[in-house]
Amino acid sequence: MLQYLIILLDDTSVSFCHYRNTNSNRRLIALDGLKAGILFAMKHNLMVQFVYPDYELPESYATVIESIDHHKIKPFSLKEDASVVVYDYREAVSDQTLNRNEKTTLVLRITKDELFSGYEEVIHFLKRSNRLSLVITDTDTFRKEDFDTYKKVLSHLESAIPEALKENDDMPQLNILSDRIQLEKMNNCNAGVENITLAPNGKFYVCPAFYIEDENDSAGNPAEGITISNRQLYTLAYAPVCRKCDAYHCKRCIWLNKKTTLEVNTPSHEQCVTAHLERNASRNLLNELHAKGFFPNKEIREITCLDPFEWKE
Amino acid sequence: MEKRKVWQEGAAKNITFIVTKDCQLVCKYCYLVGKNIKERMPWEVARQAIDYILDDTEQFNERSVVFDFIGGEPFLEIDLIDRICDYIKCQLFARNHPWFDSYRFNFSTNGINYHDEKVQRFIKKNLRHLSIGITIDGTPAKHDLNRIYKSGKGSYNDVAKNIPLWLEQFPGGATKVTISSPDIPYIKESVLHLFALGITEVNINCVFEDVWREGDDTLFEEQLIGLADEIIEKRLYGTHGCSFFAEHIGKPLDRKLQNQNWCGAGMMLAVDAAGYFYPCTRFAQYSLRDKKARIIGNVREGIDPNKLRPFLALDRCTQSTDECIDCEVSSGCAWCQGENYDAACTPTIYQRSTAICRMHKARVRANNYYWNKLYRKLETEGGREGFKKTVVNVIC
Ligand code: SF4
Ligand code: SF4
Ligand code: SF4
Repeated sequence: MLQYLIILLDDTSVSFCHYRNTNSNRRLIALDGLKAGILFAMKHNLMVQFVYPDYELPESYATVIESIDHHKIKPFSLKEDASVVVYDYREAVSDQTLNRNEKTTLVLRITKDELFSGYEEVIHFLKRSNRLSLVITDTDTFRKEDFDTYKKVLSHLESAIPEALKENDDMPQLNILSDRIQLEKMNNCNAGVENITLAPNGKFYVCPAFYIEDENDSAGNPAEGITISNRQLYTLAYAPVCRKCDAYHCKRCIWLNKKTTLEVNTPSHEQCVTAHLERNASRNLLNELHAKGFFPNKEIREITCLDPFEWKE
Repeated sequence: MEKRKVWQEGAAKNITFIVTKDCQLVCKYCYLVGKNIKERMPWEVARQAIDYILDDTEQFNERSVVFDFIGGEPFLEIDLIDRICDYIKCQLFARNHPWFDSYRFNFSTNGINYHDEKVQRFIKKNLRHLSIGITIDGTPAKHDLNRIYKSGKGSYNDVAKNIPLWLEQFPGGATKVTISSPDIPYIKESVLHLFALGITEVNINCVFEDVWREGDDTLFEEQLIGLADEIIEKRLYGTHGCSFFAEHIGKPLDRKLQNQNWCGAGMMLAVDAAGYFYPCTRFAQYSLRDKKARIIGNVREGIDPNKLRPFLALDRCTQSTDECIDCEVSSGCAWCQGENYDAACTPTIYQRSTAICRMHKARVRANNYYWNKLYRKLETEGGREGFKKTVVNVIC
C-alpha cells in the first residue's frame, strides 16, 4: 500500500540513495505542481518527503511546503531544520559540528574506495551521529576481492557500535548493521509500491533514479493517478529470489535490479552478496550484544551461502 | 508408440549459432521480423564463441552439448557450418574436452537445398553426430499457404522431393509443424499426409502470437477430433505420433510442486553474427517486433551472469495471472519466453502471454476425446494393458 510521496523540488535536488544526480541546471517544480502533489498526498494519506536542492527556495514555496506534515531531506550545505541530512564522504569528514544529541538521520553516500580506505573516518562520524544510513553508491562494481575487503570493513564498523555504547547510554544506529537486528520481516525500499516520486516536471516516477535516468519513463501524474504497468513485479511476492531471503534490511533496490539484470524483480549477485555480508555482520554484532544483555529474544540464524539465487529450494 | 528421447535431454547444453538471417522463403507465420541478407556470421565470431565456450568448463559444465545451427536457413551457410563443425571437433580433441564424443550438431531446415552436393557431403561426414529436422507443413495446399518463396510461389514440391533422401539418412526423422489461424482447416489432412510420406513423428503446435480469430478454437477442436478418429480407426497410434495428443495435458497444476518454468530460455545460449550472446534466439533483435534485444554478453567479454539471473529464477506462478495459476486444464499450456517478452506491456520476461488460451482449451477437449475413445477401443479389444503411453509435447 502506498504510504510515502517523495517530492523532488528541483532537478538538482540532492540524491539520498544509490543513483547519482549530476544535473547542474536548476529546474524548480512549478508552484501549482507542488500544490497538486501535496493535494494528492492529502487525499491518499501519504507522508511527504521533500528533497531539496542546495539553494534556498523562494518564500512562496516554503509556505506551501509547511501546509502538510512532512520530512525534509536536505544536502549538508543546507542542513538546518532538515529531518534527513545527506553527506558525501568529504563533507562527513569535514563536519566537526555534529553531535549525538541531534536527532536527525544522516545519510552518507560513499564509494567503495572511500569506504575501504576511510572506514575509520566513517566510524568517527558514526560515533557522533544518532542514526547513520550508509549508502554505497557503486555496489554494482564490486568484485570478489571487494567482497573480502567489505567483510573486513564491516567487522571494524561492527566493533565500533559496542564501543560507542561504552561512551553513551544508547547505541548509534547504523542501517547496515542495526536494522537487521531489529527487523522481523522485509523492510525494503519498496519504490513503486509503498512510495512514489513526484518530479519537478509534475509527473510521477517509480523513484528519483528512474526520473534522473529517463524522464520519459514516467508513471502518471497527480491528476490522473499512478500508472505503473506490471506493478505487481515491484512487490516482494513477485520477486522469486528476494521472497525467500532474510536480509530484511536490504534495500532490494529495484532501480539497481533493472540496471544490472534488466528486470525490476531480480537483484544482481553484487546486491545480494553485499546485503548478506551485512546480514552476517549484524549476526556477529547481535551475538556481542547478547553477551551484554541486549536483545535477548532476537536471533539471526547462521547461513553460509551469500546469494539466495544460489539456494536450492 | 514411444517418443524418441531428445538426445541427452536435460543433461545437454544447447548452443545455437545464428549463422545467417537470410532465407529463401518468406513464410507468413515466421516470427523472424528482421530477416535480411546482410547479417552472415563471420568465421572469426564463430571461432571466438567456440573458444570462449570450450575455455570455460566451469560455466559450461553439462555432460553433453548440442550445437544448433539456425537461420534464416542454416544450409545457406554450409561452408561456414562445415568449418565451424571441423573446428569444434578438432578443439574438443585437442583440449581433451569432456564433450569429446558427447556432442551433437542439430539443424532445422526448410529442406530446399537438402540434396545440394555440399550439404550432402557435410551430412555424410558428420552423420554419427547429426540430427536434422525438415519443416514440411502437410499437404501441398497447407504447406504452400504459408511456406512461400519471395516470388509468392509455394515451396512444397522442392521440399517434398527431398523427404525420401532425408528419411533414408535419418530414419524416424521428426518434422515440426506450426499452426496459425488460416492453417486450421488443413490440420487433419496435413498430419495424415505427413504420416503417408513416411514421417512417423509430427511435432505440431499453435503459434504463440496473438493471431487467433473468433471461432478458431471450435474449428481447431473439430479438426483434432477428426484427426483423432482417423488415427484410431487406421490404428496409427501404435506406430505414429502427433504431439497434439498427449495424455498428461489438460490437468490442473500444483502451485508449489508444479511451479517450473516451461521454456528453456536462459539454459540455452545463442550467438549471432555480431558476436552477441542471447538466452535464446527469440531474444535477438531480428526475432522481436516491439522490444529491444536482450543481450546477455558477447564473444569478447563473455556472458554477464546478472543478465541471466531473471531467466534462471523464472517460475510458472510468478509470471502467470491467477486465472492461469488456478486453471483446471493448465498442464501442457505452453508459452515462449521470447513471445512473452515481446508481447508484454513492459520490457519484462515476467508477464505470460495467454494469446493461446482458447486454442489450448480446445486442444484439451480433443485430447480428452482421443484418449477416451482410444482406451475404450483398446479395452474392448483387450489390448489396453500393453499399450505404451504416447508422446510428450515439444514446443521449441
Ligand atoms: S529504487 Fe529505492 S533504493 Fe533504489 S535508488 Fe530508488 S529509492 Fe533508492
Ligand atoms: S539480499 Fe538479494 S535476495 Fe535478499 S532482499 Fe536483498 S536483493 Fe533480494
Ligand atoms: S492460458 Fe488459458 S488455458 Fe492456459 S493456463 Fe492460462 S487460463 Fe489455462
